Amino acid sequence: MAESLVLIEHDRQQVKRSSLHAITLAQQLGGEYELLVIGHVVNKISSSLVSLGATSVIVADDPALAEPLADRYATVIVEAVRKSGAKNILGTSSTFSKDILPRAAALLDAPMVTDVVAIEQMDGSISYRRPINAGSMFAKVKVEGERRVLTVRAAAFETPAANAAPCPIVRFDVDAESLPNGMRFISREERKSDRPDLTEARVVVSGGRPLKDKETFERLVGGLADALGGAIGATRAAVDAGMAPNDYQIGQTGKVVAPELYIALGISGAIQHLAGIKDSRIIVAINKDPDAPICQTATYFLVGDLYQIVPQLIESIRRA
Amino acid sequence: MKILVPFKSVPDPNDATFAGEAASASKSVINPFDEIAIEEALRIRERGEATEIVGVTIGAPSVDEQIRAALAMGVDRAIRIDDARALDPYAVARILRAVVEKEAPHVVIMGKQAVDDDSNQVGQILAGLLGWPQATFVSSIEFLDNKTRARCTRETDAGLEVVELDLPAIITTDLRLNEPRYVSLPGLIRARRKPIEVLTCDQVGVNVRPLTTVLAVARPPKRPAGTRVESVEELITKLKQEAKVL
Amino acid sequence: MTDINNATREVFGNIAPWMRVVFFIMIAASIAVLVWQVVSRAWLWQKGRQGGFERDWRVWVQRLAVYAAAQKRVHKKTLGALLHLLLFSGFVVLTIGTTLLAIADDGPYYFHHGWYYLIYELTMDVFGVAFIIGCLLAMYRRAFKRKPSLGHNRSDWWLLGVLLSLGITGFAVEALRLHYTQVQPGLARWSIVGWLIEVNLLRGIDVATAQTMHLAAWWGHAILVAVFFATIPVDRFLHVITGPLNIAGRPERPMGTLVPLNMEEVEQTGRTGVHRLADFNRQQLLSLDSCMECGRCEDACPATATGKPLSPKAVVIDLRNLMSIGGEDVHRTIRDETLWACTMCQACVQECPVLIGHVDLISDMRRDLIGEGKLSGPPAKALQQIGSQSNPYGRSNSERLAWAEGLEVPTAESNPTFEYLLWIGCAASFDPRAQKVARATVQLLKNAGVNFAVLGKEETCTGDPARRIGDEFLFQQRAHTNVETLTRRNVKKIVTPCPHCYNTLKNEYPQFGGQYEVQHHSTLLAELVEVGRLSNSGSNGDPITLHDPCYLARVNGEVDATRAVVGATNDPHYREMPRCGKKTFCCGAGGGRMWFEEAPLQRVSVLRSQEAIATGARTLATACPFCLNMMTDGMAGTPGGENVKVLDIAELLLSRRMRTSR
Repeated sequence: MAESLVLIEHDRQQVKRSSLHAITLAQQLGGEYELLVIGHVVNKISSSLVSLGATSVIVADDPALAEPLADRYATVIVEAVRKSGAKNILGTSSTFSKDILPRAAALLDAPMVTDVVAIEQMDGSISYRRPINAGSMFAKVKVEGERRVLTVRAAAFETPAANAAPCPIVRFDVDAESLPNGMRFISREERKSDRPDLTEARVVVSGGRPLKDKETFERLVGGLADALGGAIGATRAAVDAGMAPNDYQIGQTGKVVAPELYIALGISGAIQHLAGIKDSRIIVAINKDPDAPICQTATYFLVGDLYQIVPQLIESIRRA
Repeated sequence: MKILVPFKSVPDPNDATFAGEAASASKSVINPFDEIAIEEALRIRERGEATEIVGVTIGAPSVDEQIRAALAMGVDRAIRIDDARALDPYAVARILRAVVEKEAPHVVIMGKQAVDDDSNQVGQILAGLLGWPQATFVSSIEFLDNKTRARCTRETDAGLEVVELDLPAIITTDLRLNEPRYVSLPGLIRARRKPIEVLTCDQVGVNVRPLTTVLAVARPPKRPAGTRVESVEELITKLKQEAKVL
Repeated sequence: MTDINNATREVFGNIAPWMRVVFFIMIAASIAVLVWQVVSRAWLWQKGRQGGFERDWRVWVQRLAVYAAAQKRVHKKTLGALLHLLLFSGFVVLTIGTTLLAIADDGPYYFHHGWYYLIYELTMDVFGVAFIIGCLLAMYRRAFKRKPSLGHNRSDWWLLGVLLSLGITGFAVEALRLHYTQVQPGLARWSIVGWLIEVNLLRGIDVATAQTMHLAAWWGHAILVAVFFATIPVDRFLHVITGPLNIAGRPERPMGTLVPLNMEEVEQTGRTGVHRLADFNRQQLLSLDSCMECGRCEDACPATATGKPLSPKAVVIDLRNLMSIGGEDVHRTIRDETLWACTMCQACVQECPVLIGHVDLISDMRRDLIGEGKLSGPPAKALQQIGSQSNPYGRSNSERLAWAEGLEVPTAESNPTFEYLLWIGCAASFDPRAQKVARATVQLLKNAGVNFAVLGKEETCTGDPARRIGDEFLFQQRAHTNVETLTRRNVKKIVTPCPHCYNTLKNEYPQFGGQYEVQHHSTLLAELVEVGRLSNSGSNGDPITLHDPCYLARVNGEVDATRAVVGATNDPHYREMPRCGKKTFCCGAGGGRMWFEEAPLQRVSVLRSQEAIATGARTLATACPFCLNMMTDGMAGTPGGENVKVLDIAELLLSRRMRTSR
């Protein structure tokens, strides 16, 4: 009987890599763990999961599960849990897992802890560390009950090693008739970008008005973002000047971001913009004005000409 | 159509105490996401699609101020479940289920998460307990077919998704759904005349214990003061070694 | 020899007695029509709330003398001003003249002869010509200039036609009278125009024909007079009656102040501000009818200039039309976006020749919108933050002195015997750009040895943004709290770098028991420079111009101190912007607009930046933290703006001093 069951997320083509980080928590919790894949025509996806150290990859494959409707998926998860006997039901925090896992927890009559960043084992019980108050504080909690549902913050757990001996893929029979029917998938509109989502990205590179035009903005801000695997943001001034689309806008009237690393290129740091980035862990400002307000808020600031510094920076990062 | 809007009283996210920066007692407000839910319910009513909006919250009498604020926005009446315990989403959802069974709304609209706890569970748990369809992180709501179905646009990591739910259903709101209206004194004065019903858990027929215990709360390490660097090399070195972010 | 003393004229000379009766009946009827129409309008005004009128008759007299008789607001270097002065003066003189004639004729003493008569004739003729020229200019302007803000009603040509015809028939009658009564040339010359017509056109006509023609012309003129009276209340022309009524009746209040709301009244009626037309007071409804549709308010409005859905003239006219059709709900005719677009710069109020208070109308309707929960988004957030954090920026009020780090600023706590309380204001406390102004001001005051102190954490938002956006209660809460603090700290003199704080502390806090001697920092700095406690090292050769903040220059009339501080008079490189001094043009931040989003193509600050850049200046000095913020932003968004430094006068003065102290 497995100790943990990890829900793996995919986009119908391939596994969503961040969802694998929950496996690391399963490993920390100890005992055997199984992986669960739900969807339709997921052979390739399931096959790619066999070397992650699980005792099996459970697959629930049915046309009725082609789209991630919470009522159906939660029912399937509950059945899989009952079959596997798992005590911990894990997933990585995402809109997918947040939509479905709490409902599964309800059906399992289990408590759930969201966004676990670390665990602590103390005399037989486990406590979980998680962010509260928009990440400005951390709580240490413990839960009671036979089972528990946990989601992890991807950034807090490593990617698991994929060098274990392959495990079997177990097909799970789904009784499509008995699945709930109150929800229907209508359509989807996905951002075509290869870059991560602005509000979830670990690194955000933002540009302001001095970037002159759309091409320069994409070249410098986009170039640096790509070198760092980050997302792109912009100030309102840059958006207004047509350099960036408005869903890149960061600030009081745009998006609020809190990445690990925020790099502000040619941004003076007006109070409206600072409101959108103040919770970033590290802020780097590159600006030609040493008196720009952002220099007071930044962790590091470099004064100089953007057009020389940024290409240098991109080069150095690529080389490293 | 009757809309039930559960809302939570939370410490003001704009107050310095929210991040533990000041020691003074903090002010409370309606959870911003729940405020968005209330606003949406009001707009649905303004379009003529809803007839009654009922608010419900769980807490001690000190949350009455937030109830007044909700009534001031336009909620018709409110229920306070008198329970001063520290609850977790597990317990909150089960208490709300009892209220839903008592009020029999056509749709429950609530914030996706509370900005103090950030669990993002209650709506989904409630849906699971009731066996109702759910739509989470919703950025637009449309009622179809004589309000027997709701078409919702959801914000997901990859983009947008449109789903359809049979009513009754649970909908949780995301930031871009709307911008709540500002309420000033006249609204608050009008709200004084609206009823607040106070009920205990017993009275709604629920007896539940939270399963989560908070052992400790701590602030993360403080950000070091800003440093001016003189070159790209220095910046990269610092980002790698000091900040450990590269 | 002409017998001057007997120079006179027969009144109703050619008019048979029965005709005179008909004439009087006709005039009486037309006046009755006029009165009836005015009374019907007055009936609409009385539907408003009681009061709002100025009570002091001495103020009426003074205002009528200045604005009605002397046409103070009309004076401008434009064609419109000129033609109105001609029409107005002509009309007034002709009316007075006709009245005098009637008095002379019907009264006990006949004084209409001799030198009096001759000068009378000359005067009437000269002003008659002025009147006609005025009409012709008006027609020319209407036909060829087609200024959109003037408005083009069908009645306008009709009116001008009637007036011109009156003028022409008047002279025709005079000329024919002179001819058929065969007045001696020596005397006839005094009726110069009639005489010229008579000499050049009528010589050949025999007396009998002339008499017949005179009769016809006279009746033409008489009928036109009757028509004229009945026409006065039509559209814009009603202003000849309502204009003076509004000029006299408008309540006397400093320009930048709004009327406080009464809490008890709100509790009773559940209403704040104006929702129905009847919620306006009677004076406000009267003012709607006094609009002459000249369009000057619209021409001066920064919102109109940037394509926003607000024109002060349209607000007045739309409300007037609503009143005419008996409508009630103002929000069905005035859109929310229209009301939110106003920066409350008061340019419209300043321009209006009949003293309409557009800003009060808008503010009253905004208050209702707030009461109805019709505000959301960034401005709503700002108000929420004023409520919970005591400042619109949402920063903790305990950070009020963050700007002062390293400066050793005396607080009311550490220096309780201060002379001046330096009120920093939220912008200079929290906005990084404006914080430099706070620092510069403090440094200057310390250098000058001024005994001052700041309130530090005890300072909270004056509430000005709340009042302007329309939440009067939030404002009153702030005002009461601040007055309490100021009283407790025994504050007598206040100096502040923010014109909005200045205006509110000086002109509006007295409404809540706070009476202080308030100065804007420009006046104190100018004083210090003048007495030598601060040296002004003068220009560095850079071309420089000044943007006058609305609430300092226009609303409070202060334009000299800022110029003194930048050393304008001694600086050959100083130039004025086209719209400067009291006629300054808004930066776009007033009326709470600082917290509203502006579409990129509708930025008032960009428009104003273009104006500044066109002066060739490389430095733009200003004296308001909002203007500073907006103009810095505006310059960044305008080609050519990258080369212009935007500075507060305190920063400028400090940098000049620092330059010379090396």
